[in-house]
Amino acid sequence: MNDGYAGRYLRVDLPREKFTVLPTPEEWKRKYLGGVGMGARIMWDEVPPEVKPLSPQNRIIFATGPVNGTLFPPSGRYEVISRSPLTGWWAHASAGGFFGPEMKYAGYDLIIIQGKAKKPVYLHIDNDLIELKDAKHLWGKNVIETTDQIIKELKDPDVKVACIGQAGENLVKYACIMSDYFRAAGRTGLGAVLGSKNLKAIAIRGTKGIKIANKEKFNKLLEDAFKRHSPEGRYWEYIESFRKYGTFSLTDWENAIGRLPTKNHWTGYFENAEETIGMEPMKKRHYKRHASCFGCGIQCKYSSIVKEGKYAGTESEGPEYETVEGFTSNFLSTDTNALIRANYLCNIYGMDTISVSHSISWAYECYEHGLLTKDDTDGRELIWGEDGMDHVIELLEEIPFRKTKFASLLAEGSQEAARRTGKGSEAYAIHVNGLEASGQDGRPHKSLGLTYAINVRGADHLTSLSSLDELGYKEEIRRRYKKETVDILAERWDEKLKGYLVADMEELYALCDSALLCKYGVMWPPIYYHQDFGKIISTITGFTEYENPKELNKLAKRICHLRRCFNVRLGWSKKNDALHPRFTEEPMPTGPAKGQVVHLEPMLREYYQARKYDWKTGYPTKKELEEVGLEDVAKELKKRKKLIPVYRGKKAFQIRKK
Amino acid sequence: MSKILVVDIEKCSGCRICELACSWYHEEEFNPAKARLSIVSWKKAAIHYPMICEQCEKAPCAEVCPTDAIYKDEESGSWKVDEAKCIGCKFCIQVCPLGAISFFEEKRGAIKCDLCDGDPQCVKFCPMEAIEFVEEDKVGLKKKRISAEKLFATMQEVK
Repeated sequence: MNDGYAGRYLRVDLPREKFTVLPTPEEWKRKYLGGVGMGARIMWDEVPPEVKPLSPQNRIIFATGPVNGTLFPPSGRYEVISRSPLTGWWAHASAGGFFGPEMKYAGYDLIIIQGKAKKPVYLHIDNDLIELKDAKHLWGKNVIETTDQIIKELKDPDVKVACIGQAGENLVKYACIMSDYFRAAGRTGLGAVLGSKNLKAIAIRGTKGIKIANKEKFNKLLEDAFKRHSPEGRYWEYIESFRKYGTFSLTDWENAIGRLPTKNHWTGYFENAEETIGMEPMKKRHYKRHASCFGCGIQCKYSSIVKEGKYAGTESEGPEYETVEGFTSNFLSTDTNALIRANYLCNIYGMDTISVSHSISWAYECYEHGLLTKDDTDGRELIWGEDGMDHVIELLEEIPFRKTKFASLLAEGSQEAARRTGKGSEAYAIHVNGLEASGQDGRPHKSLGLTYAINVRGADHLTSLSSLDELGYKEEIRRRYKKETVDILAERWDEKLKGYLVADMEELYALCDSALLCKYGVMWPPIYYHQDFGKIISTITGFTEYENPKELNKLAKRICHLRRCFNVRLGWSKKNDALHPRFTEEPMPTGPAKGQVVHLEPMLREYYQARKYDWKTGYPTKKELEEVGLEDVAKELKKRKKLIPVYRGKKAFQIRKK
Repeated sequence: MSKILVVDIEKCSGCRICELACSWYHEEEFNPAKARLSIVSWKKAAIHYPMICEQCEKAPCAEVCPTDAIYKDEESGSWKVDEAKCIGCKFCIQVCPLGAISFFEEKRGAIKCDLCDGDPQCVKFCPMEAIEFVEEDKVGLKKKRISAEKLFATMQEVK
């Protein structure tokens, strides 16, 4: 049965120009669901640790999930999975828009790309037609030009294009993949992986349908889901704010709890943010028009425009909260025109706004402390504030092309830039395991500290972040967790029980990223929880075993473990589960969370208990891997001496209600 | 009194939920290619326009149909396609001024909006309330109100 699935997957061998279309294996569907789950299985099976991220043997996988393309909201995302050229570790990145559902309508659950094309090409798929087309004329073009040109030459305005800009071509380590012009599979540098394969774009179009296993039940779930996204729903207040302001309604809320990264994560509070870069001024100054993702019940996306000044007329979708933070408070700037310009440039050249803004702010802080001088910065004075934004904009024009030595240094990401610069500049490279920290800070939100430390792809906010303690959803905590844990879990500054909470979120988001819903609606606001996924997976696919919470939890853990094991095989160990000293040793200097630091160890201990990892090495345990159906993975890790036979640590405390 | 679909393009965000609701209701699958309405988007400009059948009074599709397969359903006020009579000649697709009729590959015939027999699913599911189902004698005033609201907002801005 292929209910919920397109039922086939495509493998593209670039050097041989060979296409293989096969039925999506039952085991992949049943045991890994889709998205990052299936991606993890394929990466484990096909990418051994010797394969470098930018070598032809690395795979890059475009993955959908059973929810994609259905009416269950919000169902428009897709995942891209690979090994990261920025961090060297496991990589996944997700984008909204329309590309993911179109893959399924064309009849493919996955597209696995391998090898390196002899010359620049793009992949064109129209239902059963698959072809590689010459992309020589597209090489060197930006995302908008490329998308426009492909639409023009295919004579199909409804074709969905995912492509790289010049940043991906020039192997900028945080280059992203852009789809539908403005939607970014942003993190971990997957645009550079496409660039290394000479694959400029994938253009896809489909007219096939997706069927559902249990129609009657699906209709009931639909009704309930749409109700939850309406004024009758519990979280209408947040959805309404999202719909009105976009994701940067977060700017105000984060600043209010002292968690809005400011001046390269020096502090978490930007004075007067609400009046200068907050939701009201942003909406008033820049809102142009709504531009939703496919099948969305929340509707947070819109297009922004600069109305006055030297960047007048600049227009692009977004910016998202992360980008607002990256190009305003991060540089102590209130210049929102420069922000919209920066967002536009990142979009057209195809760069992750989080990593590029924080790589540049690394240089600014180095300059402040005299570690970089005008000799290193092509004569630029890198000063904080609005006056420093001209240089940020200039650098965004140079980094994608690696125009100068300095731009090329920054194109490597903050970890590598600091390594090459030395002189203690690592202190200002605010990354975890190579991925630049996003618009969050663990000091005012302790569980986030753990999130950054243990995430398989580094310091990102989408793999295990808990919004429950962050924004104080105490009622939701009460609904989900045992009575005696509620007060502690709700306390943002208390490390206790947060290891279990983060483990629970990681499992929830593993389901989200494999069934493929948007994190908005799962992470924040917390509309769906485990049991909702059990129902929706069972109803769409007919895998009714997932209505059993135990089976569902096994599935989630299987995905979490497998990703981690991919990293362990690459050399990940206990020492990687750590944080930048900025979060653990520098007390928050200003704002509502003044004086706070992250105490990682107690949370890490709890998290290790939940995962049954060995406290000394960070390696997984045999029995646990076998219990979730990863016997072969356990076997291989044992051969590599990266498996602990018996777990000897404490038993995890169960915070979830039975 | 018949009701008709009224679109406010300023509200449409281009999410295509209407297309999914439509194909689900009519075909029990999710497939925009089989939806009776489509959103035409200019993504770069963030402009979205739901293209729907306006249920013309003098419907060219019905007039041109050589087998009289397109007939008026008095109850819902919509023009429907009688599948048994449709010979797949595609004349209706050619003459429709809005492109509101599609060719259905599997059935080898025309498909069009039938207002879901009086309970349009696009209206029911649209999260932005961009499509409304309005009694036809009230449509004029409804549209005037939408325009007036925009004019008023502009006047406030000018002030």
